Amino acid sequence: MAAPTAPVRRRRLSSAAAARARVARSEHFTGWAFVTPGVVIILLFGAVPVIWSAVMSFQQSNLLSPSTPYVGLRNYRAMVHDPVVAQAVGHTLVYTALFVPGTMIAGLFLAVAMNRKIRFISFYRTAAYATMAISTISEALVFIWLFDPSYGVVNYLFSLVGVPQQQFLNSPSEALYVIVVMTIWGWTGFAVVIYLAALQGIPQPLIDAAATDGATRWQTFRRVTLPLLSPASLFLAVWLTINALQLFDEVYLSTQGGPLNSTSVLVYYLYEQAFQNFNFGYASAIAYFLFLIILVVTAIQFRVGRRFTYYRS
Amino acid sequence: MRTHRLSVVLGSSLIALGLVACGAGSGGSGGNGKSIQIWEGYTADEAKAFAHLVSEYEKQNPGQTVTSLYVDNDDSLTKVLTAVRGGSVPDIAYLYGSWAPNVAQIPQVVTLNSVVKQPSVNWNDFWVGERDVATVNGRVIGIPALVDNLAVVYNKTLFTQAGLQLPGPGWTWPQFVADAKKLTDTAKKQYGTAYVTPGNEDTVWHWEALLWEAGGKILSADNKKAAFDSAAGLRSLTTLASMAVTDHSMYLDPTDSAYANLFNSGKIGMLVTGPWDLSSFPSVDYGVQIMPSFPGSAGGHQTISGPDNWVIFNNGSARTAAAEKFLLWLTAPAQVTYFSLHTGDLPIRASVANATGFYQSMNKALPGVGTFINNLGNVRQARPQIPTYPKISTVLGNMVVSVLLGKSQPAAALASAAQQVNQILANPNP
Repeated sequence: MAAPTAPVRRRRLSSAAAARARVARSEHFTGWAFVTPGVVIILLFGAVPVIWSAVMSFQQSNLLSPSTPYVGLRNYRAMVHDPVVAQAVGHTLVYTALFVPGTMIAGLFLAVAMNRKIRFISFYRTAAYATMAISTISEALVFIWLFDPSYGVVNYLFSLVGVPQQQFLNSPSEALYVIVVMTIWGWTGFAVVIYLAALQGIPQPLIDAAATDGATRWQTFRRVTLPLLSPASLFLAVWLTINALQLFDEVYLSTQGGPLNSTSVLVYYLYEQAFQNFNFGYASAIAYFLFLIILVVTAIQFRVGRRFTYYRS
Repeated sequence: MRTHRLSVVLGSSLIALGLVACGAGSGGSGGNGKSIQIWEGYTADEAKAFAHLVSEYEKQNPGQTVTSLYVDNDDSLTKVLTAVRGGSVPDIAYLYGSWAPNVAQIPQVVTLNSVVKQPSVNWNDFWVGERDVATVNGRVIGIPALVDNLAVVYNKTLFTQAGLQLPGPGWTWPQFVADAKKLTDTAKKQYGTAYVTPGNEDTVWHWEALLWEAGGKILSADNKKAAFDSAAGLRSLTTLASMAVTDHSMYLDPTDSAYANLFNSGKIGMLVTGPWDLSSFPSVDYGVQIMPSFPGSAGGHQTISGPDNWVIFNNGSARTAAAEKFLLWLTAPAQVTYFSLHTGDLPIRASVANATGFYQSMNKALPGVGTFINNLGNVRQARPQIPTYPKISTVLGNMVVSVLLGKSQPAAALASAAQQVNQILANPNP
């Protein structure tokens, strides 16, 4: 019984499948045709440089002369013996360790303070975000003057309260911290916006329930608000870390890695190697080393972060 | 569906066409030389004067067009490199002189020895410092585009207030140090002088002028060994340290951006700087004097110059010939005179500087620039023309900064830097 009908049914099925496949194919084709220009541009300006710099990291290349001999792992080996690379890694990690929590705490504090209905609240919120809209060059110039050892406001304030005068950007032991302060100021607005959005997504009944249960404001913040903000915190931690590990603009504009390499971070050092010393091969190797650091740090953040992150769904 | 597909095809081909057009429009080899492209980084007065000269040239040479494209000077080598890879290199580019040894390695760079040998060019009319920087191992790779030098700009009012005599042409470094000390007033936050300490080439070349004046050399004659760890090196660094560390008469500017404003606000007595800064001092009654000398040194009064070059890239013989013709016209005395008078830039030719009335007209337009013009005669040496110079400069920058910040003694800093430089010279690649 089944035998004679089966081929018929199969045929009908297959013709339907074929029709569906035709539709799918043509939709696929159209879809791909639409995204192709975008994909080509991304490949051209994204993937090609990534691959090219990987190749270059195994070459001795100054981009000037056409001869680019293959040198194997020499660039990577040189990195191990380069004292400035070790310094730059240290500075990059110290900077990241201070900048990321600093920005998140400042951002959280301001966001909580501004998450209420008070007069001129939109003005305050705009002001907090304005730091993101200010160009890095203006930011750097302002901070250079604020922290000028002789004429700066910061040393003037120090003199009023009896703190000894500091050398700031002239001091190898202080310059990096000035850059930390400068960039925290510049990025806090970003953290404020993210935290404000997250705060406004916290359901009021949960807060009310905590209050009914007799929780103090601090307990409510610590046990209800903070856990509900954890997805935002994880996002900020990852995003700010990736940015911190790639610090360049502020260093380039204020200290150029000085004094005495004390603010030389990895991206600034690879810029120097590439565009001042014309060691493009070596610079590419440093870039890949940095990529590895970012990969490892981000992986750790996601792994650790997952344990502390609470997703409501 | 068909119309969609059609629009996709159309869209893709438009993009493809656009890419092709980009490739063809901005350069590429071939052509009959009727149209050449030049990359320059002129702004404001310089841009106006340059545009005028280009249109003048086109008028004198009907059928010839010179397209100029603004490229920030700091980025021009990077962009040239990209263009070389993309096969769309310009015919002429303005490139910093400090890049010359590296630029010489680009295969498309045109050798100009036979061009500058033509008697009509009068190559020796260009200052020796310029010719040195345009030449790499005997090969001429550029035509001078700009010249400058360092001299001392001082605040006359502060000198009078301190009861000091204005600097004379025969002054010495001990006098400079003593003046700086007297001009310093901690209560008023006023400094005798300033020094830029980002540790980059700007830090380094200020010191190199002192080294030469003290009778020293940066490298041995064959560029194989460090030569600055010498009595002259010690004398030059000790002089700077006495102001920065001992007397605290030197404002240290780690950002390279504050000193000019401070001088213009009357907070700094003397600055070693170049003619480009003069227009930033409208509020100060300033004078200009050549650099002091070291008593008893054979070096005498010297200065350092950072000339830049016009470099020609090969886009076929017709376009190379057209580019050479244009550059020789642009750097001929008449055009140099016009450009200097309209921009305040120092004349790149000695004959222009010495022409009757030129000095007076320049000095009237930009007070003090005359001393910089005369000072061009004190440019007697150039920095080493070797591809590793940028790396050497980094070492020297750290050496000078460590001494000025009081982190190391001059003798120890010299010895350590010399050792690092020798290592770079022996082993140029990382």
